Amino acid sequence: MPFRQREPLLWLTVVLLAVTGFWWAGRSREPRPAPGRTVISWYVIISPLRDLYTAEVAAFEKLHPGIEVHIFWVPGTEYNVKLKTLAAAHQLPDLFFSGDVWLSYLLPFSRDLTPLVRRDAAEFGLDDYFPAIRRAMQLDGKDYILPEYLNLSLLYFNRRMFAAAGVPEPTAEWTWDDLVRAGQALTHDGRDGSPPVWGSSRVEGWWGEWLIYVRQAGGKAFSPDGRRCLLDSPAAIAGLRFYLEKSSRYHFSAPAGFEPLNGFVNQRVAMIVGGHVNYWLNYNQTPGLDWDVQLLPAGPGSRSGGELAIAGYSISRESRHPEEAWALAKFLTRPEAIASIVARGSLSVRRSVAEAALRQPGPRANPHNLAAAYRQFEFGEPIPHHPNYVEIMFLVVQPEIDRMLLGELSPAAAGRRAAAAANAFMDTFGSATP
Amino acid sequence: MTHRRAQSLWFWMFAGPAVAGFAAFSLWPMLESLWLSFCQYEVVTPPRFIGLQNYAYLFAHDASFWPSVKVTLVFTVIQLPLAVGAALALALLLNQPVRGRGFWRAVYFLPSILPQAVFAVVFGYIFQADGGLLNRLLALGGLHGAAWTTSPTWALPVLIGISLWGFGYPMVIFLGGLQNVPRELYEAAHIDGAGAWARFRHVTLPLISPVIFFNVVMGVIGALKVFDLAYAFSVAQAQPAPGGPARATLFYGLNLYQQAFGYFHMGLASAMAWLLFVCILLITAVNFRVGRRWVHYGD
Amino acid sequence: MGIDARTMHRRTPAATVCLYATLALGALVMLVPLAWMLLTSLKTYPEILRNPPAWLPASPQWRNYRTVWEGFAYYRFFLNSLFVAVMVIAGTVLTCCPAAYAFAYYEVRHKELIFGALLCTLMLPAQVTVIPLFKAFAALHWVNTYLPLVVPAWLGGNVFGIFLLRQFFRTIPPSFIEAARLDGASEWTILWRLVVPMSLPAVLTVVIFTFLWSWNDLFNPLVYLQSEELCTLPVGLLYFIARAEQLTGGSLGQTPWHLVMTLATIMVLPVVGLFAVFQRYFVEGVAASGVKG
Repeated sequence: MPFRQREPLLWLTVVLLAVTGFWWAGRSREPRPAPGRTVISWYVIISPLRDLYTAEVAAFEKLHPGIEVHIFWVPGTEYNVKLKTLAAAHQLPDLFFSGDVWLSYLLPFSRDLTPLVRRDAAEFGLDDYFPAIRRAMQLDGKDYILPEYLNLSLLYFNRRMFAAAGVPEPTAEWTWDDLVRAGQALTHDGRDGSPPVWGSSRVEGWWGEWLIYVRQAGGKAFSPDGRRCLLDSPAAIAGLRFYLEKSSRYHFSAPAGFEPLNGFVNQRVAMIVGGHVNYWLNYNQTPGLDWDVQLLPAGPGSRSGGELAIAGYSISRESRHPEEAWALAKFLTRPEAIASIVARGSLSVRRSVAEAALRQPGPRANPHNLAAAYRQFEFGEPIPHHPNYVEIMFLVVQPEIDRMLLGELSPAAAGRRAAAAANAFMDTFGSATP
Repeated sequence: MTHRRAQSLWFWMFAGPAVAGFAAFSLWPMLESLWLSFCQYEVVTPPRFIGLQNYAYLFAHDASFWPSVKVTLVFTVIQLPLAVGAALALALLLNQPVRGRGFWRAVYFLPSILPQAVFAVVFGYIFQADGGLLNRLLALGGLHGAAWTTSPTWALPVLIGISLWGFGYPMVIFLGGLQNVPRELYEAAHIDGAGAWARFRHVTLPLISPVIFFNVVMGVIGALKVFDLAYAFSVAQAQPAPGGPARATLFYGLNLYQQAFGYFHMGLASAMAWLLFVCILLITAVNFRVGRRWVHYGD
Repeated sequence: MGIDARTMHRRTPAATVCLYATLALGALVMLVPLAWMLLTSLKTYPEILRNPPAWLPASPQWRNYRTVWEGFAYYRFFLNSLFVAVMVIAGTVLTCCPAAYAFAYYEVRHKELIFGALLCTLMLPAQVTVIPLFKAFAALHWVNTYLPLVVPAWLGGNVFGIFLLRQFFRTIPPSFIEAARLDGASEWTILWRLVVPMSLPAVLTVVIFTFLWSWNDLFNPLVYLQSEELCTLPVGLLYFIARAEQLTGGSLGQTPWHLVMTLATIMVLPVVGLFAVFQRYFVEGVAASGVKG
């Protein structure tokens, strides 16, 4: 056969190529350190602070020549599942961005930081944290997160739209009635062909807004021990009713499904109830958006009800370089770092930085009414630390709320169904997650 | 070496990797998955045998199981006849003497080989409630467009519509089958005085019944397994939890993925997976039984 | 034949017009989303927001492609997809051809049973196997590498390919094989030097469908590839939407749909190109699967 000579050569090439291919395919993406250096991997959500973080890491590496930091950037919406998949594959990075919402189910993978916190308390200024923050970083008395960031439910409003409509800006004494009145005055239904403008946005799809109303009406989502769902109480139902009636009765929020995308930024909604401090950075980057914050308006039950959640850094239980990761975590949350984040537009977890921000005169990136934001601390409530909280709220409760917004269920029915389903879930799964 | 031994040797040398692959990547995982479906497995701890509790939970207590079954079934029942019907109709049209048949066939077939994710994204964009192309066009005409992608009433129909763009696949199969029908039979029927419809009913249909059957079976299996479309759609709509408001588009495959990788309920997800598998087997078996009665092979 | 055929096939002009009109309308409907995708990818951001919506861009923004390709470094995703596809195709060809040959020409006890079992895997949904496979791959530390995507292909993972090739191989007269054997050619040589070259259309069809499946695969990369640098195009597209807010450098959360469409177009182009060149193989491959099924 004419090709017999070349045959082995051909197959050898194929084998070599295949081997190379497999080598490339199987290459571990764990960063390989230069000899003598440790590499720690850091998993963080993509945010407008990206450049800040990158600079911080560079500064850290200069201070600690023996450590290399490898950053994994992940989009926010994927972060949750990706982190869990990595955890399931026992490939969690050393340091990862975490929060008290996620802590409950990431607990088995998170290192107990209590000894480290106690050891270095003076160095990184443990007492500098607000007491509420200090409490939020713990679970069952143990520390798991070093906080960098917090979220607080606030009332956001667009000053220009208020001025244009001649409506007085929100005050610290506002109640639901004031919210309704202002909202209605600010709503244009767009009958003249322009896109409709709504007095208030309505956050759909998660508990960010409706839970506020439930609490402010005097109800609760869960019992204090987190084991029973209490959304079927009359107070909770009253809160759900207000959430629905924003559009169905008072008509100052868009009907279900018609919420303008990024309404506040696009100046299609005048107010946000709840919101997220994460967005301050983006609001500040939006030209022409003159925004401010105020305390949440009080409900029939109380003014409390807004969320107080923290986010920060956890170290994975299986990390082989916990000390280095801890060093990085401390570096990223030191007062100077927090101050530079706050300067872009955020709330501070540290008292010293908060006070400095409040004292600062003149125009600043933060909302004008920063004092109100820090006052809201008194009214913020942390998220229950039930291990299945997130799952219950998303998978079991939220669909009933969705149906309520669509008019398929009355608020009473929604509350009852949600509570029944959540309780059934907890009866089955309970604290199955250790 | 005897001839039979040589045959055996060569067979296993050549087919060995494939059979090994089958054992490693199909057979073993299938069995392990069955085992896991009887266990509580939350990833953190090793699987713990709990008998039928996962199944009991799914049927009686899980809030998202039956809705996801419903969504998938509704999707299948509506999408399949439409897709197969459209495929057959187009194939019949193209089976006639038409000019540029290759071109038409290409145009109708092309979307079905493109990734479903792309269609989910593009259509999601077109159908966006606030500012999407469709609603803006409707607004020009003075009509108020619905919240196509965010409303539970419309989201699933929209997805059904999107998936119909992939009818090119069964269409080509139909074309192949139609072209295998001997011309003489049509001639004979025509001579006998049969009109077009009668020809279709008595010549075409029986002879392409195997093809119809094949397309229906494959279509059902494909519809039950839908994942890419649902997942891409939920990402493109930035849904906080996949499945849309009130679980309107929570397909079975999507629910399974969430349970497994979103919430670590791997035992439960395995139970869901096996239920799906059994369903597919049953439907295929039923199809074959029904098929045997009205599918005409040969002559 | 003859007159009767002509009578039967003669269409009225009205029917002809109807036919072509229907076909044209249908074709338009099929292509509208793709056209919209392409046209949107060539617009600027303010243009896509304009009311009333414009069909054509004022001036085609080809630099959108540059932005996505280089600026956001999505060439990496393209190359990743390509790498995976090539590895999968190589593995498929190298293991499915011998397997198909074995099933076609060798007689072994229970051969049909084994083949039947293999065919049954076509009905096995990915959801059934994914959890144990993930568990196993995690234990092997293969998660976050390409191995889970590639290795199954090298172990005859493409049963449809084996099926198709076997059908084709069977059409080769055994006398050819016998003659080659008498000439002293080894089985391996017969397979690769005789049978496969004679079956190039079938092999090409398998290659095309393997490429298609690998290029369009969303599920497996989603589960196994966790690092951004590894991702393939389908996952990359969804990634892009999810993170687009932070990347536009402008206002928050206004998804740059024009760039999303650009990425989608990039993702779709190779498939369209392949289809344009090899349409025949696509169609014949599909038809072969159906007629025999």
